[in-house]
This record gives sequence, structure tokens and C-alpha cells, in this order.
Amino acid sequence: MNPRLLIAAAVVVLLGLGGAVRVYLALENQAYHPPVRSTQVEQGAAPREQAVRDIAKATETKAKAKKYEPPTYRTFPVVGSRVAVWIVAQLHLMFAAFVLAVPMFAFIIELIGYFNGDKRYNKLAYEFAKLLSTSFSFTASFGGFLTFLLIMLYPAFTNYMMEIFSWTFIPYVMLFFAEAGFLYSYYYGWGKFHPVVHLFLGLGLNLIGTGIMFIADSWASFMMTPGGVSDVGALIDPWAAFDNFTWMPINIHRFIGNIAFGGSIAAAYAAWKFLGAKSDEERAHYDWMGYMGNFVAISAFLPLPFAGYYLALEIYGYNQALGIMMMGGAFSWLFIIQAVLIGNLFLAANYYLWLGMGRIQGTQPYQKYVKYLLASITICFAVWATPRSILASVSEIKAMGGTLHPALGFLGVMSAKNTAVNCLILTTYVSFLFYRRTGKEPTVSWAGIGNIIQFLIFAGVTSFVIALGIYGYFVEAAVRIQLSIPQVASVLFAMVAMTIIDAFMLRGARETGETHWGKLPNISQYVLIFIAVTFTWLMGLMGYVRSGLRQHWHVYGVMRDQSLDAFTPTLGFATQIISVIVIIFFAFIAFVFWLSSLHDKPDWGSDGHGSHGGSSDGAHGGGH
Amino acid sequence: MKMPVSLNVVLLVVGSSLFYTYVGQLVPQKQLMPPAEVLIAADLTTDQMVKVGFEVVQQKGLCLTCHTVGKGGAGLRFPDLAGIGDRAKSRKPGMDDVHYLAESLYHPDVYIVPGFNPGMPVINKPPIGLTDTEILCVIAWLQSLGGTPSVTMTTKLPDQTQG
Repeated sequence: MNPRLLIAAAVVVLLGLGGAVRVYLALENQAYHPPVRSTQVEQGAAPREQAVRDIAKATETKAKAKKYEPPTYRTFPVVGSRVAVWIVAQLHLMFAAFVLAVPMFAFIIELIGYFNGDKRYNKLAYEFAKLLSTSFSFTASFGGFLTFLLIMLYPAFTNYMMEIFSWTFIPYVMLFFAEAGFLYSYYYGWGKFHPVVHLFLGLGLNLIGTGIMFIADSWASFMMTPGGVSDVGALIDPWAAFDNFTWMPINIHRFIGNIAFGGSIAAAYAAWKFLGAKSDEERAHYDWMGYMGNFVAISAFLPLPFAGYYLALEIYGYNQALGIMMMGGAFSWLFIIQAVLIGNLFLAANYYLWLGMGRIQGTQPYQKYVKYLLASITICFAVWATPRSILASVSEIKAMGGTLHPALGFLGVMSAKNTAVNCLILTTYVSFLFYRRTGKEPTVSWAGIGNIIQFLIFAGVTSFVIALGIYGYFVEAAVRIQLSIPQVASVLFAMVAMTIIDAFMLRGARETGETHWGKLPNISQYVLIFIAVTFTWLMGLMGYVRSGLRQHWHVYGVMRDQSLDAFTPTLGFATQIISVIVIIFFAFIAFVFWLSSLHDKPDWGSDGHGSHGGSSDGAHGGGH
Repeated sequence: MKMPVSLNVVLLVVGSSLFYTYVGQLVPQKQLMPPAEVLIAADLTTDQMVKVGFEVVQQKGLCLTCHTVGKGGAGLRFPDLAGIGDRAKSRKPGMDDVHYLAESLYHPDVYIVPGFNPGMPVINKPPIGLTDTEILCVIAWLQSLGGTPSVTMTTKLPDQTQG
């Protein structure tokens, strides 16, 4: 085709397009504009310019005359204010939990190493501490982000919280400075101080971290169970607002939960390092680290349901309707999802322990029991995950004679669920006991009697827990609620008593098999990562129920949510948001892991032999 | 073909999260809206009050979160309301049904039904915060459960604060 014709056609098309856009804009702009007539035409100014000036002046005058009214809400684009605050708050909490938990077990491991003189413990504690500094920065960054979001999106609510808690802010900030001081001197001072001084830094770090958490918990728990204020929300007693109904239960629950969560993330780090390890020595080290992280996580996880009971009991104590909404109302199905998560955690934790037996010679005496343990876990898991009522069609409901299944419906109540979870904990404890005993043969004269006593305690407590569960079906509610206390107490007693007997019985035990750290299939490490993901997801879910329980209240019963997001979303929506949070968290934590691993890489431009930090620091150099 | 470790880990994290999200889609999906305000005209008849009262009980009052109607047995956490209209007449000696029901709403801890624990919130205070008129309608509905509603919009109760 003739190029001139082509150019001419392109110009025509462009002009046509321009014209179309102009016409479209003119049609779109249909708002009424009053005609502007200039009252005084400035010398030299064209009438149109003068009109534009007049409009600007009128707008300015109008803006000046407008009375200032502080906004109650602002809106976050696309996802909305609630989802934005939800995601950032949960990410802040996850990093905060990790930063508070890691120093706890780093300190304890360092302390063990100090007393037993085994340098491996010191190295392990340092390895954990390496994850801290970047995580601390992320915690603070997400904390700052959350604060700005609250001020920006919920100004009236933020103002109210300031009215109640402003007196806690300065101590909080001071503690944060102290936390930074202790944390960085603990990490950078590894091997540079006398061991006792370094341990003191670790202790200080933990105490201050716990103090920070206690202050922040008062704000969150006040929103759910406010105290110290009048019916209309006026502050009467600042300390009662701080020490409200659920403050201490949340402190305890978070304290234990943080350790479980932090242990699982540290174990995931070790698993990731194990999977990428180049030598048997590295594999052995990271296998041990993963084992220790998981041990910390599961040890803290076992008493966590008991702390949960305490928290739930206080929620019921504060307001029965709130408690019933949680366990029997709109949120009750959330606990079925929780049962799936916790069931998976128990299954995975036990599976890891059973796989771990493979690294020890002399595992045969205990391996034959694994199938029974698995059966017990599966049954308990199934009972726990049984819903009270099930989704069914009209014909199915007719066939069942109601929404409750004639047989399985009995398993969906708290009597059965409490019994199942206590048996699940006992089973996991027995798995751990078997793992601990593998490759060891007691030499004490009373070993036989010790075994019988341990078995009797286990059998007696299991029977007691099941009997109380059955008894719960035949008594009225006031009595039934109280039955969970002896169930919990007896399980705790069994674990403590059996551990004490075991510790004395295995004193001076003969080693029948060597432990080969690192000789574990790779699947075991993926199990550790799965445990970490499940813990994180569980934390997101429980964070949602604690916050969502307030429903259409910013502060329950005191300050109503009048925003667009005042409704409680479906559980399906909540799980989508939780998954987004979990994936974002793991993206950030992968960055933390990568940064920590840089520590062991050779310097840029070096010949590959001069590694820095990792091999020359106090942790390896025997500074302690 | 051997997959790189990092890809396996990403698949595990995303896959596990998707699995739990899927579990979340399997449970009943209910969106809870803030309780709607029930408009109450000043000239309602007692029969109309019963209907309005039932609406309040279901929505703003959240009464059926804890109480049941017509469900017997030992498993109840709070008293079943079936027949309350009849029982209320003789529950406390010297107190008629309207005043007994009013007391149990305004001062729920004064009398606890044997076999149950205290736990009922003060119904005219937040977070429930029913108005005096709404409470009158709730009393009318409670009376209708096994009894004959006698309360009217002009009935005066000792704890009424509004006009």
C-alpha cells in the first residue's frame, strides 16, 4: 500500500480517536456548574481568567468557612480498613511472638551449655540468636505500620484507647529502648563478655520482652473484656482497665504459645539448613537443632490447651453470652477448623518423633507400639473434629431425626472433645517418652517397679479422664463445666510424675545404641516445616477468634463499630485472609533465614577459605 | 527429576495454606450483621407486643444464644424458656409474673434458678442494651410461653428509666 496513504489514514484515525475522547469527556462531565460572572474585571485580565480566579476564591472562602469535624473513620483502598489492619496486626504479632520466644530458649540452651560445659549448646543458642536482629526490625516496622494504620483509619477509636491507656505508652517506649539495648548486646556480645554477664543480658532481654508483651496485652484484652470504665466508657480506674478480666489469661496463653510458635519456626530454619547441607557434620548439627526447636515447640504446645481453658473460663466469667458465642454460637465451627489444625500438629509431631527413633540404634523394643499410638491419635483426632451438628439436606435430617447424627452427635460435645484432647496429649507424651528411652537401658535396681508405676499412672489417668468424660453426659451443666479441671490436672500430674520417675530411672543408664544425628530421611525435615506452617496458621486463626469475638464492637459493650466493616465475615473469608497472612509471613521469614545464612558465607572476593563471623565468633571460638 | 529444596518448601507452605483454606470453606458460612433496631410504635396491642418481643429476643436481645425453647434434659447451660409464662407466676412468693420477669431481666443475679450458675447479663446495659419498651415486649413474649400475656405498653416497671 502507498506509504502516504498509510500515514494519512493513521492521522485520520488519531484525530478521530482524539475527537471521540473529547466528546466522551464532555458527556461525562454533566455536573451542574453555575455560570460565573465576573463582578470586577481586573485590568488586563480576560473575562475567562477572571472567572477562574473568582472560582478559586469562592472555593477557598467556602473551605475556610467549613467547620472542622474530626473524622470517625477513613477507608483503606481496595481491601478496606479492616482487612488492612487485620493483616498488618497479625504479621506484627507473629514477628513479636518469634522475637519474644527465641531469646527464651536461646537463654535456656545457653544456660544448659554453661552448666554442662558442652560447647555445642552454646553454638546452638547462638544459631537461634542469629535469627533475632532482622526479626526485631520487622517487628518494630510492622508495629509502626499498625500504629499509623490505626491513627489513619480508626481515629476516633485510637483516640479513645489513648484516653484509657496513654499512661502506659511512655513505659512501653522505654521498655522498647531497653529491649533493643539488651537484644543487640546479647547478640553482638556473644563470646565477648564473661559467660555470666552474657547470661545476665539474656535474662534481661527476656524479662523486658515479657514486660512489653504484658503492656500490649492489656490494650488487646481491654478491647474484648473492658474494665475500669463506666457504662458509657468513661475511665474510672486505670489499673482496672489494665488488669481487666482476660489480661492475665492472655499473658499466660501468649507466653506459652509464643514459645511453641518460636520453637517451630526455629525448627523450620534448621530443617531448611539441613535440606541444603553439604556435609554430614552440617546435617548432624541442623538435625540436632531441628530436634531441639521441635522439642521446645511441642513441650510448650502440650500445656497450651490448659492455658486456653483458663482464657475461655475467664471469657465466660466476664460475659456468658460472649463465651457461648465463641464455643456454641457463630464461632463454634471455627473450633472444628482448629481441631483439624491441632490434630495435624499432633500427627506430625508424633510422626517426627517416630522417624527420629530411626537415628538411634536399639529402637526395636518401642517401634512395635507405634501402631497403637497412631490408632489412639487417629481416634482422638476424629472425636475432636466431630461437629455438634452437621450440614445436611432435608431428607438426611429426616433420616437422622434431627441435625444431630444419632451416634456421632454425642461426640460433638465438650465432654467428648475435652476427653479426646487430653488423651491426645497423653499419647504424644508417651511417644516422647519412648523416643527418650530409645537406645538406653536402665541400670537401677528398681527399674522394673519403676516401669510398672509409670504404666499404672498412665493407665489410671487415662481411665480417669475417660470416666469423667462419660460422667459429663449425665450431670447438669454447672457440674459438667467443672469436670475439665480434674481432667487437666490429672494429665499434668501424669506427665510430671512419669518424667520424674524416668529421669531417676535413666540415671547412669547403659547406652545400647548410638545416636546418629543427621541420619534421618529428608521427609522428616519437611514435617518440621509443615509443623511451622500449621502453628502459624493456628496462630492466625486464634488471633481472628479473639478479635472477631467482639463482633460489632471496637471495645465490647463500650464503643460500637459504626464503620462499613461492622459485620462479622464468614469463616471462609477469614480463612482466606489467614492464608494470605501466613504466606506473607513465610516470605518475610524466608528473607530472615537467608540473611542469617549470609553470616556463614565467605566474604565477597575472598578465595573461599576466609569465612567471616560464623567461624571466628565467640559461639564457635569457645568464648564461654 | 529432583526438585530444588526451595521450590519444595514454597509448594509445602502454599499447599498447606490452601488445604486449610479449603477446610475453612467446608464449614457453614454465616455472615453476622449487627442486630437491627426494631421500631416499636407507642400504641401496640399486647398481641403485637408478643410478636415484636420475639423479634427482639431473636435479634438484638441475643437471648436464644444461651436459652432454648422446648428442649429438656440435663445438658442445658441455661434454663429452657418453655412454660416460663406459667412458672413465672409462682416462682417467687409474693411476686407476680411481670415483676418476676422484669427482675430477671434488669437484675438477673437476684434470683438464680436452682441447678444453674449465674451468667445472665443485665439486659438494659451494654452490650445488649435493650430499651425499656423493648423489655416490655420481651416480657409479653415470655408470658406467652405457657401463660397469657398481660403486659401493655403503659405497664410501669420499677427499673424503667425512660419515659
